[in-house]
Amino acid sequence: MSAVAADTRRPRASLTLWVGLVLVGLHVAVGLLTLVWLPYDPSSMTGGRLSPPSWEHWAGTDRLGRDFFTQVMIGSRIALIVGSGAVLIGALIGVTIGIIAAFATKLLDDALAATLDILIAFPTLLIAMLVVAASDSASLFTAILALGIALSAIVARLTRILAKRVLLLDYITAARTSGASWPAIVIEHVLPNIWPTLAVNFALQFGLAVIAEASLSYLGLGAPPPNASWGRLLQEAQGTVYTAPIGAIAPGLALVTLAIGVNLLADGLRSLIDPTQRGRA
Amino acid sequence: MSLLAINGLTLRAAETVLVSDLSLTLAPGERLGLIGESGSGKSLTALAAIGLLPPAISATGSIELAGQQIIGASERTLNSLRGTVTATVFQEPLTALDPLMRIGRQLAEPLQRRAARDGKPLRGRALDLAIGELLEQVALPDPVRIARAYPHEISGGQRQRVAIAMALACRPDVLIADEPTTALDVTTQAEILKLLDGLVRDRGMALLFISHDLPVVAKVVDRVVVLQRGIAVESGSVGDVFARPQHPYTQALVAAAQAFDAALEGVA
Amino acid sequence: MSLVTLDQVNFAYSANRPTLTDISLAIAPGTSLGLVGESGSGKTTLLRLLLGLAKPTSGRISFDGAALDLGNAGFMRGFRRQVQAVFQDPYSSLDPRQNVRRIVSEPLRALRLPGNHPAMVDAALVAVGLEPLVATRYPHEFSGGQRQRIAIARAIVGKPRLLLADEAVSALDLSTRIRIIELLKTLAADMTLVFVSHDLGAVAALCDEVAILERGRLVETGPTRKILTAPQHPYTRALLSSVPRMPVTTKEA
Repeated sequence: MSAVAADTRRPRASLTLWVGLVLVGLHVAVGLLTLVWLPYDPSSMTGGRLSPPSWEHWAGTDRLGRDFFTQVMIGSRIALIVGSGAVLIGALIGVTIGIIAAFATKLLDDALAATLDILIAFPTLLIAMLVVAASDSASLFTAILALGIALSAIVARLTRILAKRVLLLDYITAARTSGASWPAIVIEHVLPNIWPTLAVNFALQFGLAVIAEASLSYLGLGAPPPNASWGRLLQEAQGTVYTAPIGAIAPGLALVTLAIGVNLLADGLRSLIDPTQRGRA
Repeated sequence: MSLLAINGLTLRAAETVLVSDLSLTLAPGERLGLIGESGSGKSLTALAAIGLLPPAISATGSIELAGQQIIGASERTLNSLRGTVTATVFQEPLTALDPLMRIGRQLAEPLQRRAARDGKPLRGRALDLAIGELLEQVALPDPVRIARAYPHEISGGQRQRVAIAMALACRPDVLIADEPTTALDVTTQAEILKLLDGLVRDRGMALLFISHDLPVVAKVVDRVVVLQRGIAVESGSVGDVFARPQHPYTQALVAAAQAFDAALEGVA
Repeated sequence: MSLVTLDQVNFAYSANRPTLTDISLAIAPGTSLGLVGESGSGKTTLLRLLLGLAKPTSGRISFDGAALDLGNAGFMRGFRRQVQAVFQDPYSSLDPRQNVRRIVSEPLRALRLPGNHPAMVDAALVAVGLEPLVATRYPHEFSGGQRQRIAIARAIVGKPRLLLADEAVSALDLSTRIRIIELLKTLAADMTLVFVSHDLGAVAALCDEVAILERGRLVETGPTRKILTAPQHPYTRALLSSVPRMPVTTKEA
């Protein structure tokens, strides 16, 4: 059997990856900037009500006369916090359950797999809404927790499948006959080998979480004021969308650029990591 | 005139040369072995001969199959050659067969295609008879049951017989066999080799047999070409090459094969 | 006394379809035993039992006089230290994300063996014919034969008494195969070797004892030379006559 000589050159980062990096980087930069500097105080009246974009107010003002661009900037920070928080929680719960299922006896594995399949059949947003409803008050943390739990089922299912595939390989048997314990096998072999695929998936989940948080906020189930979530800005702009369209356009654009950014980043990462995708660009 | 004439064939993937300036010919009814270890480019050469190279690999030189230039030929031309002039049997019979199609149906396809090309369509009772006949030719027991079975319901050796039957259904002038017995047990391998040898002789087909296994090659071909990392280092009749290998690489291969034989005789 | 004893061992994955039937076998210390069988013979299952990866449905396997006790962590630690394995596919038996040093030192770390681990890894690499310098490289940088050497280094680094090789040369090219067999032969001088294979030629070149498995039963066992020259069981005879040989050539200069 002749194989094509393996391409050992370092894969080149694709255009996709670069565009994704720039978009996400822009939001991260803005989010960090809001911690130290804002154009205006987000909660004080700094101009006329619903004034159109101008040099003073790049995105105009809202119906209370507050600078709208400032609020969209803060929205970046909220979106990033929610996205990373939800992915972190989803990853912790999901990877743990996925690994347990992969190692479990057939009965427990079947039960877990079936539970995950049922959970995944519900839309992420619906699960998150249930979690929010079950908690007493809507807060930024509840929103993050709700989204994290909702995402964990997807992460768990992926982890389970990836880990099972790795567990079939001879180097796992070799580790067992070398005397390695199950925890050692997870840390030494399973996680490092499934990590690249998981990382790509986390980037996608991040985008999902950001959109889901905007939806929660839009429905009034997200972070309460003064957290200027894009979803809430969109909801507030709903009544004035014809008179002051910028109120819907600005947060919408912000949301779209971040969501597209992380998806491009995930795609770029995938082709960088996954050897089977190499050389197809 | 030769059926297959490869002249100055060079295969490249990006900057890597995989096969370099290879020339060989195969006359009608002739049986040629292409010997090489992994990375020798033997399987790629076979793929190039039927115009099935992966897109990442570029070919230069000339490959003429039944007088038609293969390199740069259109998919239409290639399709008309595959399955009439050539048929191929691969190493892994399980992946060569459609897992969701009964054996009989899989055999019907090439049979009908060939019949349609010959201008006498085959269907109904005549088709069933032709399928049964094919299965008998590859010495499969109980052809009726096998025709109704799915690939996973029969053994590896039986699957390879089916794959050979599919190749025969095309009535090719050249049969290309790429490591057809490597995935099989020794006892099954012996049976398949005997079968292939008999079929090729009876039908006067030319055979291009690709393998890393010297004694296996010796069982079915008259002439061999030895490939080392894409370069043909030696060629000649089986008798000459195996008895008096000239190139150090061939000498090493022959010595290794003889060492195993000696061990089996209980000499070592 | 034998190092490994199998006494009336049976194994079945599902109730009424036995994979192994009544296997009794004694492996003396220092022997190199070839376990020969075709697909479906149960040789891989037998190897899993010998490795303590599965438990016989009935019967007894003992190592060094003590019955194999998979539930006893302390016993298994001692057992793992003394029994190591090499697998068929050198591409899937090495973790692609670990470098050679980490791969080879796995048994040392997993079993928390005493000693200077880096030096032991270097010694194991030298013993399999590799430069200690390769320790910082990754599996994809090596050929199939070199990978199999790395896998063998991992198996011998803790100085086991029993080495189990599962089709360890079947995936290799002919010329590489003979070199790995020579390496195993050298190593077998200091330990007991069980070489599971469908390849009679490889077994003949490496082992002094042979056991032939057919559909879960041992049909013939004995010294290699005796089995090759005077096979008793019809299956052994069929197997031997199926092995393709080089054409008989007149030996001339």
